[in-house]
Amino acid sequence: MRETDAIVADGAVALEGGTRAARPWESLEPSLLGAGTIALALLVWELAPHLLTLSPGMELFFTTPTRIAATLWNMFATGEIWQPLRVSATAFALGLAMAIAAGLPLGILLGRSPTLDALFDPFVTALNATPRLVFLPLFLLWFGLGLWSKVLIVFVGALFPILINTYEGVRNADKVLINVVRSFGAREWDIARLVMVPNALPYIVAGLRLAIGRAVLGVVVAEFFGSQEGLGVMMVRAASSYHVDIVFAGVVVFAALSLAMTSLVKMIEKRLSGWRPQHANEGGGR
Amino acid sequence: MLGPASSEGSPSIRAALVESGAPACTGTATDDGARGQSFAARHRKLLLGGLSVALFFAIWEALFLVVPLNTLFITKPSLIALGLVDLIATGDLARDLAVSAVPFLYGFVAAVLVGVALGVLMGWRVRLAYALDPLMTVFYASPLVALAPLVVVLFGVGVAGKALLIFLLSVFPFIFNAAAGVRAVDPLLINVVRSLGGSEKDLYLKVIVPSVLPYIIAGARIGIGRALIGVLVAEFFAASEGIGYAIARFGDLFALDRMFACILIIMLIAVVFTEGLRWAERTAFPWRIGQ
Repeated sequence: MRETDAIVADGAVALEGGTRAARPWESLEPSLLGAGTIALALLVWELAPHLLTLSPGMELFFTTPTRIAATLWNMFATGEIWQPLRVSATAFALGLAMAIAAGLPLGILLGRSPTLDALFDPFVTALNATPRLVFLPLFLLWFGLGLWSKVLIVFVGALFPILINTYEGVRNADKVLINVVRSFGAREWDIARLVMVPNALPYIVAGLRLAIGRAVLGVVVAEFFGSQEGLGVMMVRAASSYHVDIVFAGVVVFAALSLAMTSLVKMIEKRLSGWRPQHANEGGGR
Repeated sequence: MLGPASSEGSPSIRAALVESGAPACTGTATDDGARGQSFAARHRKLLLGGLSVALFFAIWEALFLVVPLNTLFITKPSLIALGLVDLIATGDLARDLAVSAVPFLYGFVAAVLVGVALGVLMGWRVRLAYALDPLMTVFYASPLVALAPLVVVLFGVGVAGKALLIFLLSVFPFIFNAAAGVRAVDPLLINVVRSLGGSEKDLYLKVIVPSVLPYIIAGARIGIGRALIGVLVAEFFAASEGIGYAIARFGDLFALDRMFACILIIMLIAVVFTEGLRWAERTAFPWRIGQ
């Protein structure tokens, strides 16, 4: 468990000393330092063109946080962002939903049946190690430049984190609980519903968080490479016409999208695992 | 499931952290309890796995005998094998791989050097960690791959642009894992070495490095995957050579046999790297097993 804690340590909270709080400033120090660095970085970025004289060529590629913020504000104010955002979000949502719909049952199945596990193991291991983006040209060939190649690349990207984490969560289910439930006449379906899924929930949530990251990656790259509309397309066009602020605005929107989804997942987990005496295993995955 | 060699009953953490970078912990409860059983029973998992792969390719091949499929859109294993032989014989494959390997190497080595150095500093100086951790988390959580068009516009499609993208994608696992590794060094062990009269050198060689290294290798496993994504994205997006470009081009040419051959090569490389590092973790740091 030790590694888990060390890795999961998000931000300064879990760092040594963060909880000591002998004096008020000491407990505030981590967050102040952290926020300070981010503020400083933004400030330096903002002031860089004033402090250094950029060559005319460099100036074309340079933008500042305020300009990015203004661009973002404009895009929302004029409403021009909604159409591409809707296109990207649709692909993201469909692909992720399909990955959950396929990954959960498959993970449970493979976790329950050693034979199926042995049969599928080579494929799961190989595909999990491979960057699934490699299939993008193939999907483009099969499904064209439309929505479905995007959905599919999101699907294969998000499937494996969900599948493997569900599998591992199921494998770690308490054998005694399973036997108890079985003694009371439960079928495989009841075991899955009553023991497996609740037990695997922290794992599934960790997998979902990874999957969200993968899904965003899939949408972005699929739109860069072969698509006609969407946020990614907007960004590529902006980059080739030197509208660097729009590129960064796109990065911000994608980051916000994945952040929003991640917090949604966390919220759902909190609701679902309210019965748990303590969060047994927060799982990992930045 | 994660690796053919990983035994039954691997403990919880491993998979929950599929990607998050904890050193792999393989099971304590090995399946070697089956000594007395027959060969088939002992190697059941391996046999079944091999069987399923063989069956998969056989069915794929046989499908063409039953259904008249258009080879423009789908290919079969025998054609893929021929395509692969052709790619190897003409040297195209070696050339594309060599082209992709150069930026991969630059970017990845830079990520190791910068990431480990920064991570060790962050693990060592608590204040530095306070200061940098949120910023790094923001970078790690945001889809940096979205900066690809900018990188390409700024640095071109040559080695520099690709290497930068690979570096950006793969540096963060090293930072976070090296920091976690340093923080996990047992202070008690340090005191023991000191009390027994060990020198600074002993301290580093016997305590600190062995404690940090597994974390860094685990980081490398994740970093490799992300670096491969960087190669593919950079070459899909704008390149005129390299393995990623080859896949995209064969797709455009409807040369599915060669495209699949290249995809299989990428899969092979990814599996060799990932499983190789997993194996290295298990053999080089056997004391971690079951921790």
